[in-house]
Amino acid sequence: MATMQKMPQSSLGAGSSNNGTCKGGEVVVPDQFPAGLRVLVVDDDTTCLRIIEQMLRRCLYNVTTSSQATAALKLLRDKKGCFDVVLSDVHMPDMDGFKLLERVGLEMDLPVIMMSADGRTSAVMRGIRHGACDYLIKPIREEELKNIWQHVVRKKWNESKEHENSGSLEDGDRNKRGGEDIDYSSSVNEVAEGVLKSQKKRRESKEDEEGEIENDDPSSSKKPRVVWSVELHQQFVSAVNQLGIDKAVPKRILELMNVPGLTRENVASHLQKFRLYLKRLSGVAQQPGGIPNSFCGPVDSNLKLGSLGRFDIQALAASGQIPPQTLAVLQAELLGRPAGGLLLPTMDQPALLQASLQGPKCVSVDHGVAFGQPLMKCQPGMSRQFPQSVMSAEDVNSGFGAWPSNNLGLKGASSSLAGLSTQNSNAVMNILQQQQQQQQQQPILSEPGHSINVQPSCLVAPSRSATTFPSGNNPASINQANNYNRSAIIDYSLLSPQSSNSSQGVALVLDRDPKTTGVLSGYSAPNSVSPPASSGSANVDNVSNRQIQNSSIPFTATRQLTGFSPNASDIRSSYGPRSGNMLDQGPLRDLGFVGKGTSIPSRFAVDDPELAAANLSSGKFYGENSGNRVKLEPNLDFVNNDKVNPPVMQQFSPNDLMSVFSE
Amino acid sequence: MRDIRPSGRRDNTRGERKYGLFQVISPSRSAKTGLPLWLLGLGVDRLRTDMSRLLALLFHQGVLDEQFLQLQQLQDGSCPNFVSEVINIYFHESEKLLRNLRGLLSDREFSDYKKMGIHLNQFMGSSSSIGAKRVRNVCVAFRAASEQNNRAGCLRALELLEHEYCYLKNKLHEFFQIEQQRVLAAGVRYPIQN
Repeated sequence: MATMQKMPQSSLGAGSSNNGTCKGGEVVVPDQFPAGLRVLVVDDDTTCLRIIEQMLRRCLYNVTTSSQATAALKLLRDKKGCFDVVLSDVHMPDMDGFKLLERVGLEMDLPVIMMSADGRTSAVMRGIRHGACDYLIKPIREEELKNIWQHVVRKKWNESKEHENSGSLEDGDRNKRGGEDIDYSSSVNEVAEGVLKSQKKRRESKEDEEGEIENDDPSSSKKPRVVWSVELHQQFVSAVNQLGIDKAVPKRILELMNVPGLTRENVASHLQKFRLYLKRLSGVAQQPGGIPNSFCGPVDSNLKLGSLGRFDIQALAASGQIPPQTLAVLQAELLGRPAGGLLLPTMDQPALLQASLQGPKCVSVDHGVAFGQPLMKCQPGMSRQFPQSVMSAEDVNSGFGAWPSNNLGLKGASSSLAGLSTQNSNAVMNILQQQQQQQQQQPILSEPGHSINVQPSCLVAPSRSATTFPSGNNPASINQANNYNRSAIIDYSLLSPQSSNSSQGVALVLDRDPKTTGVLSGYSAPNSVSPPASSGSANVDNVSNRQIQNSSIPFTATRQLTGFSPNASDIRSSYGPRSGNMLDQGPLRDLGFVGKGTSIPSRFAVDDPELAAANLSSGKFYGENSGNRVKLEPNLDFVNNDKVNPPVMQQFSPNDLMSVFSE
Repeated sequence: MRDIRPSGRRDNTRGERKYGLFQVISPSRSAKTGLPLWLLGLGVDRLRTDMSRLLALLFHQGVLDEQFLQLQQLQDGSCPNFVSEVINIYFHESEKLLRNLRGLLSDREFSDYKKMGIHLNQFMGSSSSIGAKRVRNVCVAFRAASEQNNRAGCLRALELLEHEYCYLKNKLHEFFQIEQQRVLAAGVRYPIQN
């Protein structure tokens, strides 16, 4: 909790500056966070307004009230950066609450929580679709208001992560995007818009654009994505090693690689992710306990690494060394990283799980469909990709399944996932470690990642991130994989067989969790085992060796995933022959994520058995305790629940999700 | 859906009472001295008992629910009159809403059910926020009728709503009066008082 308190403060400070007008000096974050949170309440009903005002004051928040939506909007515009969160009623005479929500989201990018006496599912669903951070049903209790700070924190973290990601381009890839701040805000707005307006496949592409550094500007036409297959990534890594990590410039790398059709920009963005991954791995190694640091540090890379993590995990899973739960955890972690990737992971998971469950056969993509997310389209591709190892990935995905629903219109959903991922990663790591020790075999994990090539366009994006860091030498690359954007997650689902992919996916999701502590511990472990890893000079061989070790190390994670050992064995058998190349990618990736998403493992562990039994194709992701109430913020519930391993299945039928997305 | 209450609308009002600020009505007076009991300082405990009994009755009848308790908990040193303040606002707003609803339904050519739904929604929100459970339930039924464009059903629901609202208001008035007396009585110090 202390960590959390620290983080929110910094994020609040960062958030305020991110929001634009209020620079750090203006915003004073009190020590007893979240006291002092600046809330604006808008409700035409004076009774409720007065009651909520009093409740918020009791929570030690800084309350401003307004009974007119137009006046509130004016106030927000005049005093930009002076509010942290907005509570608004849905039905107001002068302006519809949802219109206000859109305006606030677009102009000020503040989290908006809707309130209404109408608690019917259709109304709440409408709120979600419009992109509300949360939907409170009157009568509102004080406990519900106490928790609204989470939306602020989550949003700020997501934003800062995106900004960092954008800003971490080392090779000037950013030129394409133009000015950094402008782009960031625009991309954030893009995400906001995408989230608010259409949670359809457009979202996928938007997220892809958002998260992928390699991607062109959102405005520009999409170039065909480069799929960073395992072989390609290995070529890349060997080129980098040849040049020396410090001297590796995209141009030289491109020349060395001598791959037709590869552009300098592709290499540059890939290199950037790789560097983030390395940094992250080394950072983790140096600060075993410094979760906040590591968490904040690789924030930018989280997106990328997330995707990597997935692959790693998948690879590991594929090799049969990662129990499904571990994989799920890792994936959760990976997926948790990037905010946007939430949707993707969910899809992957079901597919992954299925893959693992089915053994050598391809994972039926149907599971992905269950999630009802944009990823659905990827499913066909996915089925090809998911060897048994996918199982763990699936587990993770399933864990994320719940998140996708959260992602609906939620920008901040990822945060919850992040929390999960941390836990999951720990668990996964444990399992992985155990398995690895048993097998003494390099998981084929890397393999799954490579299969990215196959995906449909939507999946392509992640492939880049995922596959490329096999040899990881640097645990940091895992982080990068995590950061590989949400789109990466989608790919993961397809690529599930590839551990690298899966790990990335996982990482993406897990990012946001304040419980990054777990992640760091995960990272440090590998480093200790394979010192050369962080140096970045290890070649593939070393990496692969280390990976085995690395994967074992992270498995010091706290949780013990129960469950999928039978599946693991299946995976093992199927991936037996593949233990070669992908190992590099897998463990490293996993490591990256292990640190991040500790919370997920437990979840997945719990879910996995359920999922396996529950026939993922039915589209049930989590069993959520909160039931069917379609609240936007169940994510947090998940995170919290991780610890207690509650059934995290949200009873969202695929139809609900589908309808949400299709609208 | 009609709640079976044989008596008319005003059967539960205690005489003619202004729905304004709380008024002390018919204070208990001691037979010997003719002074109000609270002045004698004897009625504190009794008043407190009366309050609890009244609240218990209202809870039992389903007129109030636990949200009212939340409201009471919000009252603290910084806001000593919070509950009465909020309830007053509620009365004020609710009467406006009821007048609007009545006006809408009185119109022969009434067809704007959507507008009625908005009024209802607000009434529902405020009622549930203060814990007026029965009023809120009638609003739910009212809303259902309005969504079916059932004018007759809406009229019936409106009558029921007004009835429930009046009952609630009377009881809450009573409650606050007792509260007022209790506060006064508690402030009086007599040597004979324990």
